[in-house]
Amino acid sequence: MNIRFAVNGREVSVETDAETRLLDVLREDLHLTGTKEGCGEGECGACTVLLDGLPVNSCLIPAPQVEGREVLTIEGLADGHRLHPLQAAFVEQGAVQCGFCTPGFVLSAYALLRSNSAPTDEEILTALEGNLCRCTGYGKIVSAVRTAAERMRESP
Amino acid sequence: MDYVRVGSLAELGNALGRDGATLIAGGTDLMVKMRAGSVRPRLLVDISRVDELREVSMHPSGLTIGSAALVAEVLASPTVSTNYPLLATVLRSLGSTQIRNRATLGGNLANASPAADSPLALLAYDARVTLAGAGTERTLPLHEFFLGPGRTALRRGEYIRSIDLPTPRTDWDVFFHKVGRRRALTIAITSVAGLIALRGRAVVDVRVTAGSVAPTPIRLRAVEDLVRRRELDGEQIAAAHATALREVSPIDDVRATALYRRTVTADLVARFLHEASESTPTSP
Ligand SMILES: Cc1cc2nc3c(=O)[nH]c(=O)nc-3n(C[C@H](O)[C@H](O)[C@H](O)COP(=O)(O)OP(=O)(O)OC[C@H]3O[C@@H](n4cnc5c(N)ncnc54)[C@H](O)[C@@H]3O)c2cc1C
Ligand code: FES
Ligand code: FES
Repeated sequence: MNIRFAVNGREVSVETDAETRLLDVLREDLHLTGTKEGCGEGECGACTVLLDGLPVNSCLIPAPQVEGREVLTIEGLADGHRLHPLQAAFVEQGAVQCGFCTPGFVLSAYALLRSNSAPTDEEILTALEGNLCRCTGYGKIVSAVRTAAERMRESP
Repeated sequence: MDYVRVGSLAELGNALGRDGATLIAGGTDLMVKMRAGSVRPRLLVDISRVDELREVSMHPSGLTIGSAALVAEVLASPTVSTNYPLLATVLRSLGSTQIRNRATLGGNLANASPAADSPLALLAYDARVTLAGAGTERTLPLHEFFLGPGRTALRRGEYIRSIDLPTPRTDWDVFFHKVGRRRALTIAITSVAGLIALRGRAVVDVRVTAGSVAPTPIRLRAVEDLVRRRELDGEQIAAAHATALREVSPIDDVRATALYRRTVTADLVARFLHEASESTPTSP
């Protein structure tokens, strides 16, 4: 079957089937390999993308369910070669080690900051509770989100 | 595997009549099972865009939640946090942000896990479920809907249409505690929820529910009957603890032993009653 949806602001049309997950369409058909597969069962958040603005696990979505909808992946965040303030803050604060979890964390944080420009640490932790990191110990990730939020408030 | 997205209840009724049809709403349970190979649908019937199944509305006789309303949508509804705070509390602990953006109440109920979160609040609020099929419709109390792990009263060709909660008391105090390995993304080892209305130290009414301690999520009715219309003192709480120990029937599994579950559940029941008794002024 053929499905059409928007990825990072671009309309795409893909030949696929109901056994294929959104994650596979993104990585295999559209070559958007920034979205990672960790567990494949909703536990780790490495496959997080935004669906109509909300973070979801792309490993749990059959491709046909995104027909007509809008998907944002990590590739859609930077402005050309200029990193998004969240990406810049993750790099500066050492919130990235192996980097496997990073796209998911950045997208979860991005969704949070769009609805809440001044989150508390508690709110940051809740927004990131579906993302696991084996490397950083989370402290630097939370401080990167806090730093990015401050900068985005200063120069929106 | 075929896939069909239905846009209305009429289309849904027809699609469900087809051979090997399985409903998919958020897919957060189904996709995991399909990947594990424990479910192999021949036809996926996608109900996630049926508007009639997505309503969350308050009316004079209570609250109606469409079966395909997202957990995140139910949580965003001001009427839910104001009138049914236990439901909001319980749903906030379901999965993660990503899961709550896809998961539905209908899926949580139909999946019929003894560890599911939403039934703890729904059973406490005396929820009823409306089941519909091609040309049929019936409503039953939620406790009659659950038959065992993964087993429900749904017949072939039927689906959950909505969940109805009666107008609640305005003076309920709320309790919820879920025991798991970590805060988020945890399947409960045991969980206890409660509603209690007190006048002074006297229990006007009370509801206690527990998960992961029986084949289905349950109301602890013996505990409720014991403390209702009684004074909440240390002796009464100890008696409730003893009753809870007898009323649950947990099993050993990879996450915990039956003995651990039984003990912690009774302790949580006692904590619920104790906290309620502490929160009331001690002088008459
Ligand atoms: C990582 C992870 C964490 C989780 N954490 C929790 C948790 O903390 N607490 C908890 O309770 N659950 C949890 N779950 C389980 C799951 O997210 C919930 O049960 C969810 O509510 C299921 O809803 P869904 O719409 O995704 O269901 P789906 O997967 O779409 O469907 C589940 C089942 O219900 C059937 N179904 C769906 N809608 C209907 C309907 N209207 N009528 C009849 N049958 C229907 C489907 O055919 C299927 O058999 C978790 C799942 C994952 C993957
Ligand atoms: S790969 Fe999707 S949540 Fe882990
Ligand atoms: S940086 Fe390695 S998993 Fe997070």
